Amino acid sequence: MNTNKSGRANRKSGLLAELMAAQKKRTGLIRLLTLGLGAATIGQAVLMAGAVQRVFVEKAVPASMIAIFAMLLGVMAVRTLLAYANGRIGLRIAADAKQTLRAKLLRALASNPLIASRQGQTGGKVSLALDTVDEADAYFSQYTPKMIEASIVPLLILAAVFVLHVPSGLILLFTAPFIPLFMALVGIRTQQKSEEKFEQLVRFSGTFLDSLQGLVTLKLFGRAKRQEREIERSSLSYRDATMDILRVAFTNTFALETIVMLGIGIVALELALQLVVFRSMQFHAAFLILLLVPEFYNMLKNMGTAFHGGRTSLGAIRNIETALAESAAGREFADNEAADEIFPALPQAAAPSIELCDLDFDYGPDTFRLQAGSLRIEPGQQIAIVGRSGSGKTTLLHLIAGLLPPSFGEVRVGGRRLTPAQEDSWFRHVSYITQHPYMFTGTFAENIAIGAGRDVSREEIVRAAEAAGLSELAAELEHGYDTLIGDGGRGLSGGEMQRLALARAFLKRPAVLLFDEPTVSLDLHTEQILMRAIAELSRGATVLTIAHRLHTIRHADRILFMQQGVLIGSGSHDELLNTLPQYAEMVDIQREGVTA
Amino acid sequence: MNELSIFAKAMLKERKDILLSILGGFFAGIAGVVLFSTSGYLIAKTVFVPPLYTLILLTSLVKILGLARAASRYGERLFSHRATFSLLSRLRTDFFGRLIPLTPGILNRKRSGDLLARIVGDVESLQFYFLRVAYPPIIVASVFLATVIFASFFSLWIALLLVVGMLVTAFAIPAAVTVGQRRTNGQVRRSRADLSAEATEMLYGFIDLKVYGRLKSREEHLAAASAELTQAQQADALRLLRGQSLHSFMTFFVSWGVLVLGACLIANGSMAGVFLAMLIMASMTVFDESAAMATLPAYKRDSEFAAKRLNETFAAEAISGPDTDPPGKLEENAAISAELDQVVFRYAEDWRPVLSGVSLRFEAASKTAIVGPSGSGKTSILELLLKLHAPTEGRVLVNGRPIGELSEEDLWKSTNVVLQQSHFFRGTIRENLLLEDDTRSERELLGVLAQVDLPNKRLEDPVLEKGENLSDGEKQRLAIARALLKSGRLWLLDEPTSSLDYVTERRVLEALLDKAKDDTLVMVCHRLAGLERMDRIVVVDRGRIVEQGTYDGLMQSRGYFYEMKQIERQMIGQSGSGTRAV
Repeated sequence: MNTNKSGRANRKSGLLAELMAAQKKRTGLIRLLTLGLGAATIGQAVLMAGAVQRVFVEKAVPASMIAIFAMLLGVMAVRTLLAYANGRIGLRIAADAKQTLRAKLLRALASNPLIASRQGQTGGKVSLALDTVDEADAYFSQYTPKMIEASIVPLLILAAVFVLHVPSGLILLFTAPFIPLFMALVGIRTQQKSEEKFEQLVRFSGTFLDSLQGLVTLKLFGRAKRQEREIERSSLSYRDATMDILRVAFTNTFALETIVMLGIGIVALELALQLVVFRSMQFHAAFLILLLVPEFYNMLKNMGTAFHGGRTSLGAIRNIETALAESAAGREFADNEAADEIFPALPQAAAPSIELCDLDFDYGPDTFRLQAGSLRIEPGQQIAIVGRSGSGKTTLLHLIAGLLPPSFGEVRVGGRRLTPAQEDSWFRHVSYITQHPYMFTGTFAENIAIGAGRDVSREEIVRAAEAAGLSELAAELEHGYDTLIGDGGRGLSGGEMQRLALARAFLKRPAVLLFDEPTVSLDLHTEQILMRAIAELSRGATVLTIAHRLHTIRHADRILFMQQGVLIGSGSHDELLNTLPQYAEMVDIQREGVTA
Repeated sequence: MNELSIFAKAMLKERKDILLSILGGFFAGIAGVVLFSTSGYLIAKTVFVPPLYTLILLTSLVKILGLARAASRYGERLFSHRATFSLLSRLRTDFFGRLIPLTPGILNRKRSGDLLARIVGDVESLQFYFLRVAYPPIIVASVFLATVIFASFFSLWIALLLVVGMLVTAFAIPAAVTVGQRRTNGQVRRSRADLSAEATEMLYGFIDLKVYGRLKSREEHLAAASAELTQAQQADALRLLRGQSLHSFMTFFVSWGVLVLGACLIANGSMAGVFLAMLIMASMTVFDESAAMATLPAYKRDSEFAAKRLNETFAAEAISGPDTDPPGKLEENAAISAELDQVVFRYAEDWRPVLSGVSLRFEAASKTAIVGPSGSGKTSILELLLKLHAPTEGRVLVNGRPIGELSEEDLWKSTNVVLQQSHFFRGTIRENLLLEDDTRSERELLGVLAQVDLPNKRLEDPVLEKGENLSDGEKQRLAIARALLKSGRLWLLDEPTSSLDYVTERRVLEALLDKAKDDTLVMVCHRLAGLERMDRIVVVDRGRIVEQGTYDGLMQSRGYFYEMKQIERQMIGQSGSGTRAV
């Protein structure tokens, strides 16, 4: 456990380091450009001060200064371009980093959403790939270039000021540390305060959505008007809580700006004294310093702002890293040993035997654990998996389907180990009818044809649809089999989707049929078709059904009974009734309930 | 700008904070300009070796200005943020108020949840309209005007130069940025939506994709969508960067212009040389103050988009929804009869009707169960009776009067409802009972909780948003308690006990039927057990009534209901059955 944690911590710093290492060339380039930027900043001030000196003190005629004016404008242009170039490189780095992060997240997601979806809601996963990655942007596009600029340019300016006039340099040197200090203070204190108020903030900010969602209920109970006042009250409380936090931030910012202003004021005073009282300085140098001082402070303030943005981004990156580590913890299939194909490369395959060998699975340490043990299913057998909800039936079926990697043991199909290398061959002959078959965005015909995994003729599709009792629906759809369904198209009812899944299976004629029997009562039409179709598909296939209907259970060759993740018994219905009290109880309670 | 009229109204109400923040911003800006100009003047003045007291005066002025600037900034920040959050509060109450009369209508679509989340998001992005869009130009313009007036005392030409520079930064540069923006308007939003849809589809359809060997091509799609999004975002950010760079170059250019112009003016003697440094400093500072303008177009676009969408949503709903509540009232203290007459009902965006030609009469004080497979249209019948939807064709009558003539408020007062998904609010159990008045005694309330088999709950127990801390069974029982505490004479119950075990279900139904014995009751049931007590069972399939009669009658006729009953007998190990919900 401990080593695991430290390993994760290592990886934590790893992701950012990895992303930045890929950008070494670019950050190097930013450094180089920033040196130029510093030089241009100083150069601009030097030329500006020099020009004012010539005009004002030396009373030069404008015509004699064309060169210096042109140079000044040139330096200004260069400075702008360099800053633009830095920003642009920053954006490039950000784009690359975001692309990498998103790719990693999506890959983790695609590699095993069954594990992912157990660990958190699907919406959260998608938002991680979108919003959180966007939040990470600022670290690369703002923080990185700004930090480089802030660590080089102020030093150059400071050096220039020291060369010009040591006391001014000292003033800058002594006031400068206060800026990052106060900036950090703002950050820390604000964070403390907002953590303190977190609970309140969440409560107040949620009321609006909560009320909108419950508006029907509120209206039915005649409470809508009252809720309007509640929203106002909670919004104002939200404002007050937020203002408490912001006040802390603003107070510290106030202190910070005061320091900057005082710094500038002190420099100005000191310069004036040097000029008038001690006569130890030229106007040119004094004005130059006056031009440089705000640039110096501005750079430091920018650093602070970038730092804040960077912290938020860093948090986002850390979240992504944790998510990635979690999905990595949900193992992948052990190895990709080259093996013989499970099925011969024929369009149809014979029903295979399926063996579970010491099969064990968990979703991660301290989570749900499935212990299936060892078991052999003969070719063509009809298996019913039975157990209460949450007993691990679906997980077991996923394992057998090769959708989840076992933590221990293996699944053997026809005597050969099921590995990802076998995937294509395996899935070519498997149908999995879930409780909620998925409709892809596409036409009705395409949604059926997907089952075949090869090019199929329209006649075949129509025949499969007829077998699944879908011809009536096809006639109802405005463009028949060419009607768009799925997201953005025509929606289907639960029963119709079940039949769609059956039609897919009819096209495939699978050697292995995995079936998660619906728990809701479907319409009678679908129920009848479902029974008939499964019976027909079962001929010539090994069938595993998560059974919810006694009829299915009774007709199974063998029943696997699951309890709290453990396969505690298997046998025929009558055998289990006699030997397994838990099984008898489950079937009995059910019947009592219905007949009561 | 018509789209933001709601916002303008709200701003008017917060004028005090807004005025104060404008004042603060103005002073901070001016103090900054004066501070740097004074410094410039101070340094220039030293060339003439002025008396020491002038210097002391000037340097003190510099310090005081520095403090004043920081203090005004503090005030500006405080007031402007306060105003922002007060505005949010006003917007929320305003939109909630506008949503109340539209509510049943707005739910006439399946994705009403998305719609609500969108409204919340849009209102939230509107809140920054003041801080980031409406406010900065006011400050920049006023500070700028003051600086121009100040500069005009020394040279009209320089003042003119500042004005030109300002016009360029305020209009030309943002316009240039916006032109590019308009061309690719919404590209980022579209790419994001694409990616989100692709990712969601992959997650939900994973098993089917994998089994049917489509996962790889889906992943490629996803990678392409991701790359497209990155590119669109990159283009957007680059445009912004270009705007910022143009802005900063303009700042430099104007100070350069002041220098060159100043040199000429000094050379021909129309301006004193001592002011040159001051004016240069002033021009540099005043443009720094306008940095907030650079991000303005992006915020402006976002909030205008939000405002437009909100307006469209509300405008569209306002047309379809009724304007006022009709006056019709139901007779008090009498059981209510209801009738569906040749009703066809279709959700706005659905391609086929949920109910097709349903005629059904619920006599006063009768008890009816509606059963049928999921998706058959059972719930829609209740929703029509509740006037949550209007029928597409046909009539819905309550006490013989068309439901359209009846006041919603009055109708709902007379009905005791348990919806399939009851909403629970953050608060306490007591608050979630949504009592009509505060006259109920503690004892009575606890008694009702005991009746619905929630004896261990206390009235002050907390409830989280959407009742997250309650189990499905507890939520259902709490929803029933709510209904039991109402005094209506029409009971409309949608699968009120689907998450309860049989023992609890029976007890709770007992309490319900007992309380409703003289009232009209319509209950949608998912299970076929315990229906013997109902006067009539109506079987619905695919939007049509296929059978109706008493329990015994239907069992004897061996039709649809009988078949369903046979299948239910076969069902095993589902949630809600067998195990006792805690």
